[in-house]
Amino acid sequence: MSIMEYNGGSVIAMVGKGCVAIGSDLRLGNQALTVATNFEKVFPVTDRIYLGMSGLATDVVTLREQFRFRVNMYTIKEERDIEPEAFAHLVSSTLYERRFGPYFIEPVMAGLWKTQKGEHKPYIAAADLIGCLNFAKDFVVAGTASEKLFGVAEGLWEPDLEPEDLFETISQTLLNGVDRDAFSGWGAIIHVITPDKVITRTLKGRMD
Amino acid sequence: MSSLNDVAGPQQRQFNPYTENGGTILAIAGTDFSVIAGDTRQSEGYNIQTRYAPKVFRLTDRAVLAVNGFAADGNMFVKKVKQRLEWYRHAHAKDMPLHAIARLIQTMLYARRFFPYYVYNILGGIEDDGSGAVYSFDPVGSYERETCRAAGAAQSLVQPFLDNQIYFKNQQPAPGTSFPAHLPLPIVLKLVIDSFTGATERHIEVGDGLEMYVVLAKGRDLSGLEGIVGLQELSTKSDGERIFVIRRELKKD
Amino acid sequence: MECSFALTGKDYVIVAADTTAARSIVKMKGDEDKIKTLGPHLLMAYSGEPGDTVQFAEYVERNIRLYQIRNLYPLRPASAASWIRRSLADSLRSRSPYSVNLLLGGYDTAAQTPSLYWIDYLGTIATVPFACHGYGSYFALSLLDRYHNPEGSLEEGLETLKRCIDEVAKRLVVSPGKYKVKVVDKDGIREIEL
Repeated sequence: MSIMEYNGGSVIAMVGKGCVAIGSDLRLGNQALTVATNFEKVFPVTDRIYLGMSGLATDVVTLREQFRFRVNMYTIKEERDIEPEAFAHLVSSTLYERRFGPYFIEPVMAGLWKTQKGEHKPYIAAADLIGCLNFAKDFVVAGTASEKLFGVAEGLWEPDLEPEDLFETISQTLLNGVDRDAFSGWGAIIHVITPDKVITRTLKGRMD
Repeated sequence: MSSLNDVAGPQQRQFNPYTENGGTILAIAGTDFSVIAGDTRQSEGYNIQTRYAPKVFRLTDRAVLAVNGFAADGNMFVKKVKQRLEWYRHAHAKDMPLHAIARLIQTMLYARRFFPYYVYNILGGIEDDGSGAVYSFDPVGSYERETCRAAGAAQSLVQPFLDNQIYFKNQQPAPGTSFPAHLPLPIVLKLVIDSFTGATERHIEVGDGLEMYVVLAKGRDLSGLEGIVGLQELSTKSDGERIFVIRRELKKD
Repeated sequence: MECSFALTGKDYVIVAADTTAARSIVKMKGDEDKIKTLGPHLLMAYSGEPGDTVQFAEYVERNIRLYQIRNLYPLRPASAASWIRRSLADSLRSRSPYSVNLLLGGYDTAAQTPSLYWIDYLGTIATVPFACHGYGSYFALSLLDRYHNPEGSLEEGLETLKRCIDEVAKRLVVSPGKYKVKVVDKDGIREIEL
């Protein structure tokens, strides 16, 4: 069995109108055996950037620590928060550093970046396990339920969703996607990032 | 002569009688109608063999069969089912009821248990009681009556979307209300088109064209079909169940 | 086969591990203690590749002790778990990785909360209300799903643990005979005879 499917789990991010959303399921398994149902795969990077990782759970934790360190160093040196695009490239280069012995994770990023006029524009990106970036205008997915998430998201997503509508869209996509995947599920967590706050909600899901 | 052959193990050859020809099929049952759809792309690996190879077939005035998987097996299987239905007509002077066709398909599939037709079948149509019905099969004949089912290359993309939109999974009805068990025809057609455009967008083996067969119960008016461009009737009688086909273009990349 | 269990309750964590030391089909020893005391309020049950287990457990034990000597206070469970996990994760990508699975039970005296960590040889970490390693998990986890009470008394916790041990004894072909059971709470660590 593939290393990428050893622990199970899925992540998704979507663009809205002046906001972005990112979420993951909560299952941690050892192949078919569920070990924990509180394993979040999305982490805050700055006030306006969140990073989700699906794949091998040990690498999810290791890279969370690694990115926290690298973002802190960036913040100290630059004396400002990192912007989503710079962070996406930080993720990419961190993964490519291990090109021939990779970390087995697929990252998904969501954030807001500030334009010169002071507006906040949505930004999402995903990458493969060696850091090949994919900037999407609509949504990105990763994990064992990625195919299902693509299918549902393609049907539900529409442009310019307001934060609450975006929350509903990403929640329905994630829940219905993971319900058709044996390795993902057991509840979910969603973060909707808006210019002035982050709305975080934990969702109940099917327990099978 | 290479001496390598002398040390190497015995040479083995194998003929693989199967291939996978992509594409996706889908069927949804309503109270008094049924919609059976499929895309028309036929591929092998990264090659598109043809952009128009029907996967959905009219069996009788009230039964439509969609076949997906190995196209050669699929076509042969439809031919054999049609033949059995003709024999039935000659013997009984009527069309076989839908539930009986479903059981026939099971027996025909299971008869080839140890050299199966490499095909996923979805049978849609109108039951004797006038209700819309969908039966889905696995390649060896295990089957079940359902409200909706997707199969084929993009099953994993389409089925969870249908769970959400047809079965209202993970949704809560407004207080004091409940979700409908069956949706009206215009909504079903919209969902079918959305499912296929979505699948076409994200799956390389899906695209080119879409064929949607609509079977209406006996005596049902054409409401929900009015104003649909390119609607073509395939029924042989006008006083029984009626079959229509709607064709749409899908992206070709 | 090796089995270890742990569960949290109201202000305590119970950690249990079997006491057999086996090499291939031979039982070498029947009273091996496979739960290390890492600090005044920290327990670690270890299992896995013979040799790696003791080596890694002692490495952890001494580093955690060193921290306590240097800083005059022990690492809190969350930090200890994090350090141990990182050791395993780094080891995984080294030339000779440790094959050791751990259950880390601790009582955080500052926050006054019990905590339990499930850690495997890959460095996967999960904060859980109850956990198992080994073949026992296939029997015990469903029992713990049914009977575990996070607010239960120590007696109730031990009762649940006994259910798990009895079930494994009944259904697992190669079940271990005896278990060592330790408890950590605000008063520290003590061993309990079942």
